[in-house]
Amino acid sequence: MNFIDSTNFERFLKKLSAGGELFVPVRVGETGTLRLERIELFPLPDNLCLDGFRTVEPLKAFAQLLRYPVADYPSTEGDDMEDEKSFPSVVVAGARGCDLAAMQLVDKVQIEGEFTDPFYKIRRDKMLLVGADCSECGESCFCNLLGAKPWPEKGHDITVSKIQGGYLVEAGSERGERLIKENKDLFTEAREAQVKMREETRAKVVKDLEEKNRTYPKAEAMPPLMREALGDEIWEELAARCVECGACTNICPTCYCFLLYDQKADGSHFQRIFAWDSCQVTGYARMAGMLNPRPRLSDRVKHRLYHKYDYLPLSHGAIYCTGCGRCIDTCSASIDMREHFRRIREKAGSAKKA
Amino acid sequence: MKNPYYPIETLVEDIITETPTIKTFCLAPSRPIKFKAGQFMQLTVPGYGEAPFTPSSSPSIAEKMEITILRTGKITDALHALKPGAEVGLRGPFGKGYPMDAMEGKEVLVVGGGVGLAPLRSLIYALLENPKKYKRVSIKYGARVPEELCFRRLYHGWEKAAPNVDFRVTIDVPAPNWTEHVGLVTTLLDGLDLDLENSLSVSCGPEIMLKFVTLKLLEVGYKPPQIYLSMNRKMSCGMGKCGRCNVGHYYLCVDGPDMCYDKIKHVPNVFG
Repeated sequence: MNFIDSTNFERFLKKLSAGGELFVPVRVGETGTLRLERIELFPLPDNLCLDGFRTVEPLKAFAQLLRYPVADYPSTEGDDMEDEKSFPSVVVAGARGCDLAAMQLVDKVQIEGEFTDPFYKIRRDKMLLVGADCSECGESCFCNLLGAKPWPEKGHDITVSKIQGGYLVEAGSERGERLIKENKDLFTEAREAQVKMREETRAKVVKDLEEKNRTYPKAEAMPPLMREALGDEIWEELAARCVECGACTNICPTCYCFLLYDQKADGSHFQRIFAWDSCQVTGYARMAGMLNPRPRLSDRVKHRLYHKYDYLPLSHGAIYCTGCGRCIDTCSASIDMREHFRRIREKAGSAKKA
Repeated sequence: MKNPYYPIETLVEDIITETPTIKTFCLAPSRPIKFKAGQFMQLTVPGYGEAPFTPSSSPSIAEKMEITILRTGKITDALHALKPGAEVGLRGPFGKGYPMDAMEGKEVLVVGGGVGLAPLRSLIYALLENPKKYKRVSIKYGARVPEELCFRRLYHGWEKAAPNVDFRVTIDVPAPNWTEHVGLVTTLLDGLDLDLENSLSVSCGPEIMLKFVTLKLLEVGYKPPQIYLSMNRKMSCGMGKCGRCNVGHYYLCVDGPDMCYDKIKHVPNVFG
């Protein structure tokens, strides 16, 4: 394992930033939450934070932009994709385990299968991901309920663990290995005591996560419980406080739904726009003639949970939640996904008894 | 790399008025579009947007395509206002299409309601192209009133296509000068003389009709794996990525839009 001191780490990031727009987490505001900031000039800001826990913004937003044009019609290029060079290369430092795992889940949808979304694929290929360990467990963090660890396990090119005086560094991809090798004068071999420091921090965060979430069921318990005949009541209860704003799905690092719509320009010319969409809003699945398979909010709340914890495990082989807890932080009605887990377990339990 | 969101430029060559609310658009795409019966297209009306439709023309013709459309919303309003010579866009084809291989050697029951006959017409062309491949093709079609029946000019040809092909039509309520059957399309399924064990059914129509056709088919002895339904959901990308057209864990745009009832029968409110 490699060690890099803080000064050399800054040099290393500077070198990486030659390969694309660099974003790093910085600690902001009274609450001390982390936000991603674009770094155009070095030195790195004083509030750089590669420990703590995940940023406010989900990583998906770098590959699947919030809103962007996908076609100008008619165009002389027809259906040929624009040059890959017109897409920016991006280096994101400090991505946490929950976000890296989520990125891989979105990849499964947007890249794998019969069709590939070329816009997503190109942006994804041009991303360099530097992961980071969490040194704290946020109030809403529950990655342990998904069986995950609070450090990058997969999906990163390089990952760093902050310890006294610098960072332990590991490669997670061939590209990452190459980058470390190319800059090997910046690194030293990690000492046993340094590795031990990392293990201690990791063990502490795991313990905190378990303590904080000890009363909640594991997410893997959800699919079989939800498949039991739960009735409408539970979904009405879970939907009761929801104000249908869609913030939970927008900020979710695994929610990938989008809508294509055309903006009228002039004559037969139009621009086709790709924009995030939320299954929580009424119009999401509404068809012509006002037909709607999920007219009630409780139908849509139920759908969100089924999609994440039952349908996607069946269609894409994984629960589409990584326990980042952003949906909890963002909810203006203080709805907590972990409470949903608990209520579903209670309800399924009482249904069984009855 | 190709941009899958960019439509193929397409000319509207002709427009046939089928009923007061249904028109067939005869389209000439700027490059041939090969599709299988039951696969669908995303049709763009420039400036208004896209909506999914299954072609009603023969899948053996790639140079031209006909799509038969009921006027029922924003995009179909704009479509119905078009004149021949207008330009539209096409993306696709998407979806699996009808289970043509599974139909070979079988007694195929085709059940349509209203504009639901449009995608089935494409299937009927495919079946009648080589009727010997199927033991039998039995087509049942219904609409509310005679004026709402699609493709009346084609019925005679279907009836006479081959000895193993039959076609029956019904309207929901009696009408002057109507000599054919009267009653919901499900009443054409009473006393079916098909070899049920060796049959496969394909239905397309409004969800309420699909529901009652399914119940009827189960009642007369069809098993869920023998029942195929053309399901309706809102679609946007057509490629299994935008997330909205699911029925249970299936995405209709890639796994359908024709779904075997056996796969979706457990889904709550499957018929909406």
